[in-house]
Parts: sequence; structure tokens; C-alpha cells
Amino acid sequence: MNKLPELLYQHIASHHIKQLELAWLKISPNSEEIISVGGAWQHYFQRLPVSGDSISDICEPLLGMLPFTKDFELPQMQLSEGQYTDISAVKDEECDWLLFCDVTEHTKQLQQYQQASNDLVLLKGELNRTLDRYVGHHVAERVAQGKLQLNLAGERREVSTLFVDIRGFTPFNESHDAQIVMQTLNEYMDGMLAPVLSKDGMVDKIIGDGAMALFGVLDSKYSNAQAAFFAAQDMLKNIATLNKHRQQQGLVQLGIGIGIATGDAVLGMLGSHDRRCFTAIGRHVNVAARLESKACAGEILVDLETYRRLENSDEFVLRRLFLKGIGEVDGYAYGFSK
Amino acid sequence: MLQKKICILGAAGAGKTSLTAQFVYSKFSEKYLSTMGVKIDRKKVVVGDTQVNLMIWDIHGEEKFKKITSSYLRGASGLVMVVDGTRPETITIAKEILQRVEQDVGDLPYVWLLNKADLVDEWSLSERHLNDLKEMNKPIYHTSAKTGEHVEDSFLALAEMLLLG
Ligand SMILES: Nc1nc2c(ncn2[C@@H]2O[C@H](COP(=O)(O)OP(=O)(O)OP(=O)(O)O)[C@@H](O)[C@H]2O)c(=O)[nH]1
Ligand SMILES: [Mg+2]
Repeated sequence: MNKLPELLYQHIASHHIKQLELAWLKISPNSEEIISVGGAWQHYFQRLPVSGDSISDICEPLLGMLPFTKDFELPQMQLSEGQYTDISAVKDEECDWLLFCDVTEHTKQLQQYQQASNDLVLLKGELNRTLDRYVGHHVAERVAQGKLQLNLAGERREVSTLFVDIRGFTPFNESHDAQIVMQTLNEYMDGMLAPVLSKDGMVDKIIGDGAMALFGVLDSKYSNAQAAFFAAQDMLKNIATLNKHRQQQGLVQLGIGIGIATGDAVLGMLGSHDRRCFTAIGRHVNVAARLESKACAGEILVDLETYRRLENSDEFVLRRLFLKGIGEVDGYAYGFSK
Repeated sequence: MLQKKICILGAAGAGKTSLTAQFVYSKFSEKYLSTMGVKIDRKKVVVGDTQVNLMIWDIHGEEKFKKITSSYLRGASGLVMVVDGTRPETITIAKEILQRVEQDVGDLPYVWLLNKADLVDEWSLSERHLNDLKEMNKPIYHTSAKTGEHVEDSFLALAEMLLLG
């Protein structure tokens, strides 16, 4: 490669190196004793270092760091409030060097990225705890208290399965900062999951921006279909309230769609001792998932079996639906269409 | 006067800066400002009848893409290992740091601080996590940088370990 012409080198040097406010200390080999000082020393030290000073008299943080046998770097040392310095220790043939570089500007820029990424880590922790509270913990507690008895071979019973999911979350996710996305998801999740518990349902799993819940597994004063429908109504109310708040704050509002189906399912625990996962397997589970995918924002779609078991069935509108993998079925819609 | 350098280590957001601020200035802030590099604070403590000047290195949090440089630990006499009690994964991070430090600069005396003890509802460490830490045979404190609970105790315990060996 051609050598960089001297003039250009000088140009870059005067541009970039000047900003760094370089200063250096020449140190007696293998000791802490200063021989001489150069560069912008005022930028880093309270007083002019003189020959014979010990390094820790001049720069206390370096106490105990010298002498050294191998070069080392101390990046981003905050020597005084808001000022960041890279310190390099370099061995020469007849002496040691300490080089001081002001990297405040650069560090402050990096700080913003760092902050965003660390905030996200804390938020993720928060989200994990929310989910754990609703999914793992709740079931584990019931099992421990003997309120939920399941034989591992699988037990067959009628349950109502509910799927809920946030409409338009993918475009929202793609057009917003990750931190905002997490925070928003957490808010909506709370609004969707709390009603499941209060109506004796079980959150079976969280799927991205939605969830699957089972009714009829835990004891309840409601029938499984009725409990699922009440929970769905509560979800719509919660989300409407949340959206009102968000509107007042000028934030984006999102809707949710819900599907419910009822039928026999085989229940059981899957997985190992440490993290057991409860699940239900049955034909109607797929129906519920498909209904949810057809529901508009603010709408509850239920299948015929669920509809038959509800008390307030006159509030529904019949909809002929074609469900992928299942075929043509009658769906009953509540909410949106009115 | 006797000078001792101690380093505060742990995952990002575990509360290293908050613990230092509580110990040195009796202050706490809810606002999170990620530490870049290192910030140094000092505090005089008395152990028995010896005065010690602690030089406290509050080091940036360990992250996937930003590991802690071992050269920060040159000349250190002891470590404060901080865990966020609401995030069990921060134990794993602390252990990884410890392993690297021991490889690069050798064994140093240290204490475990399980921080954010005031967040009772969010507390997520189980018996299993605790037993795991107990096996390492170092003092363990449940601290809160917010209320100040056990903050001074834990720093003083470390200072004592440094002097009495
Ligand atoms: N409730 C509570 N919050 C705490 C406690 N300690 C720290 N925090 C909060 O947790 C967040 C992170 O605290 P910091 O002390 O900045 O964490 P750090 O470990 O220094 O973070 P990095 O410098 O990024 O590694 C801040 O919002 C603090 O207010 C505590 O004991 N209780
Ligand atoms: Mg910090």
C-alpha cells in the first residue's frame, strides 16, 4: 500500500488528535516514579507533575497499578465528573509510558446506545416476571395446594379454549423502538391475562403478542363456556380503558381479537420436573385458534358448542366462516359488528 | 492512611451505582443511568481501630457485547459481586465475571450482594439459587440500595475481610 502523504497525515492528525487532548507521562522503568510529562497535562492533573513524583500522587486511581510487565489499557475512566479518559500503559526499551486520551465526546454518544440496550434488559426481566406470574406460578400453586389434580397419562374432559391476540402488532413492532414495544406489549398483556385468572381460567401459553387460555380445568362457579366468555368480555373492557388512556397521552392504540371454542380435550402435564407445562389437546383447540384469526379488533368469535352454552346468546350475530384446515362452520360474533 | 481498592461487579442494571451512592452519599435515585467505563468514589471506614480509605471502583455492567476488562482489577484488594434479586439470570452473569477475574488476576476476597430486596413482589430468587451461592462459602447479603438495608453492613464486612484476612 502507498504511504499516506505527509500533508494528508497532518490534516487528519490536526483534526482528530487535537480533540483527544493527549498527555503523557514518562516513567522510570519498572517503578512508579515519574521522569517527565508532556502534552495537555492540565486537562487531567491538578498540578504539574515533576520529576520524582510518584504516579499515585498525581493520579490516584492508578494507585497499585504500576509497575507493569505487559502493556494494558484502562478505557473510559471517569477521572472527574462527566469526563472520560482512556489510559494506556506502554512499555518502551528504556522507560514506561502512560498515555491519557480524552474520549468524552465519543463515550457520551455510546452511552445512549448502552442506555437503550440496558433499559431493554430490565424491561425484559419485568415481562418475564409478568408471564411467570400468570403461567408457571399460578398452575404450580394450584397443583401444590391439591386444587388441580391431573394424572400424567392424560385425562379427558370438556373445556373451553380461548385464543386472544393483538391486532396490528407486527407493523407496530416494526415501526417502533424496541423499548417502547416491550413496554406496550406488557401493558396489553396485563389487560388480556388478568381476566383469565379472575374467571378461573388458566393461561396455557403465551404466543408472541397473544395467549391461549383454558377454562374448565380449575374449579369455578361458572360453566367453562360462560367463564371463557366473561373473561373475553373483561379483556375487551380492559383494552378499551387502556386505549382511552393511551389516546389521552397521544399514544398508538391497538385492538385485540378473541376466539373461543368448546369441546373434549385430553389434559396433561408435559415436560420435566423443573418446568412442567400444562396442555390440552383436542380438535376444538384448533377451531378456537382459527376463530381468533378471523376475529376483528374488538370482536369475540365463538363456535356453535360455546354459543349453545351461553346465557346471553341473543347478543350474537351468526357468521358463516371458512376456517383454514377445518372447512365451513357457523361462527357467532359478539362486539365489533354492533 | 491505609488505602484499599475494591471493585463492584455484576450485570447491567443490578444496582452497582445505586449501592455505591447509598454507601458513600446515603442517596438513592429511581432513574437509571448506565455507567460507562469506571467511576471512582472514596469512603473512609473504621475496622477495629484501623482507619481505611476505601477506593471504590464502580464498573460498567457486564453485557453480551461489552465484557469487563480485567485491567480494571489491577491493584484491587476485594470485590463486591452484585446480583439483581428480581432477575435470576444475573447470578449466571456474576459467576461468569468471577471466573474470568479469577483466571486473569487470581483469587480475591469478595461478598455477594443480592440487591433490590425492597421489591418483595418481584423477588425471583429461589431456595435453589441461594443454595447454589452458599456453596461458594462467601458472605451473602440481601441489600436494598433504595432503603439502605444491609448496604453498610456488607461493605464493612468486606473491609474487615481485607484487613483481617
Ligand atoms: N427498588 C430498587 N431499585 C433499585 C435498587 N438498586 C438499584 N435500583 C434501580 O435499578 C436501576 C439500575 O440501577 P443502577 O445502580 O444504575 O445499576 P448498575 O448496576 O449501576 O447498572 P450499569 O451501570 O448499567 O451496570 C435504577 O433504576 C435504580 O433506581 C434497589 O435496591 N431497589
Ligand atoms: Mg452503574
